[in-house]
Amino acid sequence: MTVRIRGTSEAITIQWIPKYTLLERTLHWLYAATFVPLVLTGLILYAPFLGPLARGGAGEFVRLIHRGAAVIFGFLPIVYLIIQPRRLLLNLREFIFDKEDIGWLKGAFGYYVLGKHTDMPPQGRFNTGEKLNGVVMILAWVTFGVTGLVMWFGKGTVPPALFSCMVIFHDLAMIASVCMFLVHLFLAVAHPLMWAALVSMRFGLTSADYAAEHHAKWYYGPKRAMEIYKAEKKEASEASRLGH
Amino acid sequence: MQLNRRDFLRLSGGGLGTLLTSGVFLPKRGVKEVLRPAKADIAMLYDSSKCVGCRACQMACKRWNGLPPESTEKEALYENPRGLSEKTWTLIKLRTAQGEKGLFHKYQCWHCTDAACVTVCPTGALYKHEMGFTAFDAERCNGCGYCVQFCPFGVPHLQVESLLTGAAKATKCTFCQDRVTVGQRPACVEACPTGALLWGQRGELIAEAKERLATLQGEGFAKANLYGEKQAGGLHALSILLDDPEAYGLPTTVPTPSLAHIWQEVIQPLGGLALGATILGVIGAFLVARRNIRMEEVK
Repeated sequence: MTVRIRGTSEAITIQWIPKYTLLERTLHWLYAATFVPLVLTGLILYAPFLGPLARGGAGEFVRLIHRGAAVIFGFLPIVYLIIQPRRLLLNLREFIFDKEDIGWLKGAFGYYVLGKHTDMPPQGRFNTGEKLNGVVMILAWVTFGVTGLVMWFGKGTVPPALFSCMVIFHDLAMIASVCMFLVHLFLAVAHPLMWAALVSMRFGLTSADYAAEHHAKWYYGPKRAMEIYKAEKKEASEASRLGH
Repeated sequence: MQLNRRDFLRLSGGGLGTLLTSGVFLPKRGVKEVLRPAKADIAMLYDSSKCVGCRACQMACKRWNGLPPESTEKEALYENPRGLSEKTWTLIKLRTAQGEKGLFHKYQCWHCTDAACVTVCPTGALYKHEMGFTAFDAERCNGCGYCVQFCPFGVPHLQVESLLTGAAKATKCTFCQDRVTVGQRPACVEACPTGALLWGQRGELIAEAKERLATLQGEGFAKANLYGEKQAGGLHALSILLDDPEAYGLPTTVPTPSLAHIWQEVIQPLGGLALGATILGVIGAFLVARRNIRMEEVK
């Protein structure tokens, strides 16, 4: 596909490759569309300065929305498991961390914030940051599910100490997942380097050049990606040795 | 590219903003404030040795607070109903130790000084009244039920309007707040025919209780004790008991609501700090990245 750059006669050609299925994209957006109201309604009960919004009838309405959104939120991953179990498994396997993740973490601040073109180690289908986001979100989903169900249906029947622990773990899961969500939102929507992320989650496609740059182990395969990475590194160190 | 001074200022400005943001998540009460009942607080003293178990207090409570009757269990001879509920805010319990005389006890909200229900209430519906008792504002309550779960005595109950929507209101003894705030005595105190219920300043009631205890101990009730002087920061419904608190089904040491305090005073501010840091970190990173990353080089 040829894209014309606004205000110039220049054109670039983008070769598109598939990344997400329609179901994955739909579930992703539904997940976001339930996560945000869950956070907003949850914060009303959580943060003392929002206390006035939690009072009386308004508070009852807030709790009702929280429960309604929670039911959908809880079911979405189960829908994925039922309809596309192989895709789910495939994606879960991609969340396993390896030693390239350490290199990514070391270089991430320089690369994403300072714009340094340091050689980032090749990444798989998901980079380290995306893996962290995924793992935190999966753990949070499990925690929200267990603690939320106990808080909803166990009121009065479970021991008070257990209930209190559930409230605390519910909060901790919220803190971890909201922090992760904010970083995820920034990288996906506002960060210039990550332009393809939003495109792929909307249309299911990603640019081949982008994939080669950011997800080399996925694009070339792990072996070839490491060869390229090592060759580039060698080239760069020789260039700097020769003073170029 | 090095982190220059402007970038440094932007990022550290984020840190400063974070501290300010986390402040709004702090609970209204200071973390280290020691809770102590004031001598002038109003309080109730129940004397188990004077109680005859007539349950006039129970009836008066129902009548004044407009509480409906509830169905009872056939086998329950004296404790009737068996426990507190959204329809019963106080009741006389009868404990019978083997081969001994029964022990009466008036069960109700004890109006703790360190009240877990007040600590966890997100709406301020439950609050400590300036007169010392734990007051309740039904208008503010949204029925979340945290008070029910965190109270170490299991006192508050939810009046559930709909299981599906979760619409509910918390209920509990309020010391008849509509009476005591205009200088009257609670309905139960007013109704007690034997002088087992006294009403007054907490300090004076404790002094009175100690005199009664000395008399009781002289009469052979060696285990007689005052319940509530120290428990949960000091209760505002005090009881003269003839036996150990455990014989009455009461804990000698009320567990401090540590989970409630951890939740409200540690997790909430820390969560605010984490969320604030993330928001400002992300904004800072965006401002710095926008200048440093040249789109022409982006693949």
